[in-house]
Amino acid sequence: MLQQVARAWRPTATALLFALPALAIYVTIIVYPLVYSGYLSLFEWDGVRDTRTFVGLDNYRILFNENRVFWIALKNNAIWTTVALIVPTTLGLVLALALDQRLRGRAFFRSVFYFPAILSFALTGLIFTWIYHPTLGFLNQMLEWVGAGSLQQAWLSEPSVALYAVMVAAAWHNTGLPMLLYLAGLQTIPREVLEAAQVDGASPFQRFRMVTLPLLRETTFVVLAVTFINSLKVYDIVYVMTYGGPANTTQVLGTWMYFLTYNFNRVGLGTSIAVILFGLTLIFAVPYLRRLGRNA
Amino acid sequence: MSVAASVIAVPPRPRPRPVRWGTMALYVALSLGAMAWISPVFLLLITAVKSAAEFAHSETFALPQAIHWGNFARAWEAGVRTYFVNSLVMTVVKVPVGVLIAAAAAFALSLMPMRGSRKLFGLFLVGLVVPIQMTLVPLTIMLRNLGLIDSLVGLFWLYLGFGLPFGILVLRSYMKTLPRELVEAALIDGCSWFGVFWRVVLPLSRPAIVALLIFDGIATWNEFILAQIFLRTDSMRTLPLGLVNFQTEFSTAYELLAAAQCITIAPLVVVYLFFQRHFVHGLTGSVKG
Repeated sequence: MLQQVARAWRPTATALLFALPALAIYVTIIVYPLVYSGYLSLFEWDGVRDTRTFVGLDNYRILFNENRVFWIALKNNAIWTTVALIVPTTLGLVLALALDQRLRGRAFFRSVFYFPAILSFALTGLIFTWIYHPTLGFLNQMLEWVGAGSLQQAWLSEPSVALYAVMVAAAWHNTGLPMLLYLAGLQTIPREVLEAAQVDGASPFQRFRMVTLPLLRETTFVVLAVTFINSLKVYDIVYVMTYGGPANTTQVLGTWMYFLTYNFNRVGLGTSIAVILFGLTLIFAVPYLRRLGRNA
Repeated sequence: MSVAASVIAVPPRPRPRPVRWGTMALYVALSLGAMAWISPVFLLLITAVKSAAEFAHSETFALPQAIHWGNFARAWEAGVRTYFVNSLVMTVVKVPVGVLIAAAAAFALSLMPMRGSRKLFGLFLVGLVVPIQMTLVPLTIMLRNLGLIDSLVGLFWLYLGFGLPFGILVLRSYMKTLPRELVEAALIDGCSWFGVFWRVVLPLSRPAIVALLIFDGIATWNEFILAQIFLRTDSMRTLPLGLVNFQTEFSTAYELLAAAQCITIAPLVVVYLFFQRHFVHGLTGSVKG
């Protein structure tokens, strides 16, 4: 009996041997910290002393009731996510449609439009910080040069525009991936279907609305899911460009988590934000992972 | 879909000659768009070769009057060398090790008989969506206890962990497309599982491995948040972190900053141009599952 069980599990044990290094590292670096963060969010702790005080859900109460910046960050994440779900994704789709045509130099155009996506967010942030510089920056100098000097701004230190200025930089970086995914999606649409629609007299726009777009549903879902997940955890580009300022007006959950944890030693509050962030991510992450698991 | 198309059927009529104007307009739009799109990088390049005096006295978008290579040497000496070496060592060591570990796991999950292999794969997939912020505090505690704060060795382990989910996803979906008969034939011929992995599956997975090496290489070269939190001293900094520090240090010496940024981008450009095709083909398939 016991021998039978042992024999049945032998292949699994061999396979586990191959998966073991990955599993051990993955559990140590991601799974265990994930669970531990959830636990830590129930404590008040300064990150230095040995003593932590159990406070239950009080950290969450403080965030929602007393922490004004938390609400700013939450609102900014909402704006950021909404814009990210619309702008770079649509731009990526339009570029993919244009670059799916038989065109001379289409490989060149693809490389140009994808290029920013291989740069880091930190570097993108640095480049745009400089472009937005009040006196030395390209943007203000160009406005002056074309005679639109009245539009000049201190782009990153004006509370009403700073967040949007950062989002422009992010959109420049984030258009490449949707373009790439849509280009791949377009490859899977059989030419005959589009030709049939054309023969039936459908205009180019009708062909797009009634044929291409529905057939790209799968791709669109992936694009939106990835965009949503990435928008919530945005951090580097905001950190580099505005440091959450001016006066915390550009804080997002990612940066506010960092500041609370590492600058203000409110570790309990910081990890609570991380938990909230993770919870929000799951809205799209769960169906996304289901799909990945099913397709695989 | 053809049903939907025929519902809106309009009587076919003879089409005029292919609209050349449309193609022309598309070209013009794409060219203008591409120029605008690449202009930030172009500005960076022309600024990097301006002398300090010229940068101070001309418009940012004015072309340089003389090519001035000195900024690159100055930036290199001012600290970029250290950051560059750190990033290079990290990338060259971490990426192959990470891909190998991911490949072994992907092999077990795709081609070996294993109970609960779907569940294990699901566990790895979770890593794709975990916000890094969710792990920071426990990782800080862990590295502090191990004395690995401010150490590239500590960072190496973190990078390894965060690279695994995507690596396993890409390699597993590729290995699934390999014919199982090859594995069975090798086993019958007396090959061990390790032999199958090393001599049959790894060589056959080359396209996916190359794509992953490039993708992971770029990601490692670019990583910011973990480096920013766990590295403290200047001599440990990797490039993205070093550049941000550079910006505070040389605040308005943009010709120098631009040179440093160009040095950071250069290896990416080289890799991108040489391996573009592998990159695109290997990745799009897997992100979509």
